[in-house]
Amino acid sequence: MIKIENLIKKYSKQTVLEINSLEIPSGQTFGLIGNNGAGKTTLFSCLLDLIKPTKGKVINNGVEVSFSEDWKSFTTAFLDETFLIGYLMPEEYFYFIGELRGLSKIQVDNFVLKFEDFFHGEILGGKKYLRDLSKGNQKKVGVIAALIGEPKVIILDEPFANLDPSTQIRLKGIIKDLSKYNDTTILVSSHDIQDVTEVCDRIALLEKGKLIKDIKTNKETLKELETYFKG
Amino acid sequence: MFKMMFSLQWKEFNRGKAVGGKLFAKILKWLGIIYVAFMTFLMGIIASSYGGPLAEFPFEEGTTVPFLYVNKQLIYVFVYLIVMRYFVQSLPVVNIKALLLTPVLKTQIVRFSLLKTVLTYFNILPLFFLTPFSFLLASTGDYDIVGLIFWNINIIGLIYVTNFFNFLLINKNKLIYGVGGILALIKILEYYSIVDFTAYSEQFFYLFYSQPYAVAFTWILVFWLYDYVNKYLLQGLYTDTGLQIKIKEAKMDDFSFLDRFGKTATFIKNDLRLLKRSKRARTAVYMGIGMLFYGTIFVPSEEILGSGFLFFGYLFSTGGFLFMFGSFVPSWDSQYYPLMMTQNIEYKEYLNSKWSLMIIGTVISTVLASFIYSFFGTNAVYAVLAGAFYNIGVNGYLTLWAGAYTKSPIDLNSSANAFGDKKAFNAKTLLVGFPQMLLPVLVYYFTSQYYDHLTGCLAVAGLGTLGIFLKPVAFNLIMKAYKTEKYSTLKAYKTN
Repeated sequence: MIKIENLIKKYSKQTVLEINSLEIPSGQTFGLIGNNGAGKTTLFSCLLDLIKPTKGKVINNGVEVSFSEDWKSFTTAFLDETFLIGYLMPEEYFYFIGELRGLSKIQVDNFVLKFEDFFHGEILGGKKYLRDLSKGNQKKVGVIAALIGEPKVIILDEPFANLDPSTQIRLKGIIKDLSKYNDTTILVSSHDIQDVTEVCDRIALLEKGKLIKDIKTNKETLKELETYFKG
Repeated sequence: MFKMMFSLQWKEFNRGKAVGGKLFAKILKWLGIIYVAFMTFLMGIIASSYGGPLAEFPFEEGTTVPFLYVNKQLIYVFVYLIVMRYFVQSLPVVNIKALLLTPVLKTQIVRFSLLKTVLTYFNILPLFFLTPFSFLLASTGDYDIVGLIFWNINIIGLIYVTNFFNFLLINKNKLIYGVGGILALIKILEYYSIVDFTAYSEQFFYLFYSQPYAVAFTWILVFWLYDYVNKYLLQGLYTDTGLQIKIKEAKMDDFSFLDRFGKTATFIKNDLRLLKRSKRARTAVYMGIGMLFYGTIFVPSEEILGSGFLFFGYLFSTGGFLFMFGSFVPSWDSQYYPLMMTQNIEYKEYLNSKWSLMIIGTVISTVLASFIYSFFGTNAVYAVLAGAFYNIGVNGYLTLWAGAYTKSPIDLNSSANAFGDKKAFNAKTLLVGFPQMLLPVLVYYFTSQYYDHLTGCLAVAGLGTLGIFLKPVAFNLIMKAYKTEKYSTLKAYKTN
């Protein structure tokens, strides 16, 4: 589904990302882990054509992202609060995203309703604009909006951070279901090794922009990662 | 302690947000400041010898007419000063929350943020008028020097009254609309000569010249206000009082009647919500409404300034909203630009929606402006219509195109608290607008010189019509600019 070839991103002389080759097959839940500054967000930004790589290319379902915008019709993402429109109410935001992906209001309503317990009664029917929601609630809205319209590729940066324990558990369930039943390719980054090992089929470890490990998740994975990060 | 806070302030100023074009913007800003100061200085000189509109009071030896005239007008100056301060003057923001836990005394924090305003532009600028004005008056020998000095001290005192009063106005929209309403009311009452407030104004301000000790009252008021504001702000130093951001209850807006316009409507709906819900964006609308009357400034002085200037005024009056809103495309979306860039949309649809909104605004402005200027005769209406065509056919594109290169992010959520910076208007917008106005004014000026007014209007309207037909070409160019600028725009907005 996603192919990365010789991807390099440099700022002046400092190389912040250097990935020779990486291929993520369709339907895989791919976890990205690494310390601060490892290049996780940079990689995601390259995938979404938000920054221009110094060299190399990203191919999303056959589309080279920096040349054509066709990938936008099947790819969604939630990286941070810059993906939210502060002056909208959650419902209005969902409708907006839905409209861009060709869904009617009713379709959006039906879709969002499925996540009512995820929202914990704090999002829908409230009387707040997104800018006035707490960080955690904002994240909930952003993550669910990224699921609207049956995308083939979903990119989530640190989806578990800032969430309360119940929501974390529910979100893990949602992600697992998506990959199981919908054949959706999901890319998730996290600081928490436990979270990624629980959710992802495959885990890549980034360090200073380089791919250090690329593991198919198994029983030993958590230990392996722990030993690595203990350093 | 003050030194430390001052250095914090300096760093904030120096290490501020926008990355690109910062220097250019700074230069423009300073040029603007110097220009206004210079004009004020000039006004001081002119006012001292003639007293107001040039022809009205010819220079006469041995009269105090200029002085009385200025006193008459001062009432407007002060009401205007209050309104301008409210919209333009940004209050000092020291990073207050971080300081609360340090050993800095709360009283010191407040005192620092208050005293810092003493030296703001709005307080200094009037001196550029007062100094030449007073010196020239004094040099005629017709005035009582002591009286003049105390008159000046009084004016400065009143300037500081408005300075501290501004603190109390923050977040009190109703009050400022009240002040604006009063300004309109006294102007109307004066216009229909029902009550002439300027007569009271003259008496009031003259009092401080004839009875110098009256100055004491003004300065007592200044210190009382300072003390009051001091206490008021001190109360606000809690995270659940003054430092809390007020949250308005949200209401859904249904603009589904726009849905028939397809994807363009999706964005227009959002932009309408933006204009409705963000204070910062609402200013664009208010400015647009205010600009409707821009031409009226030039009407009385047509003979002095010439028809070119008048045409400029008309042109601006229909384009107010277009400039105020358009100059900040795509900055309005700066806070969620990454979202926009990853959604399933084309630049063309995005830009088209912005353009459509600008045009809708211009059309509404044109209807209103034609009505307003119909009182000044058909020639004025021709000029307004010609200007509207030009704004729609040319300036719409130019503004959008320039937007690709203006990369200053806008913080829409800066719903301010008592200490917040809620500067909602940027002088840069106007400066970007001026060159766009030059060409049509020149075209009008030369054709109307060779032929007549109507031909001049038709020439400008013709340019605009041509522009309307060239929309696909223009849009292609604009789109290219936006595409090439995409990455650096994203980067600039990130520093928000």
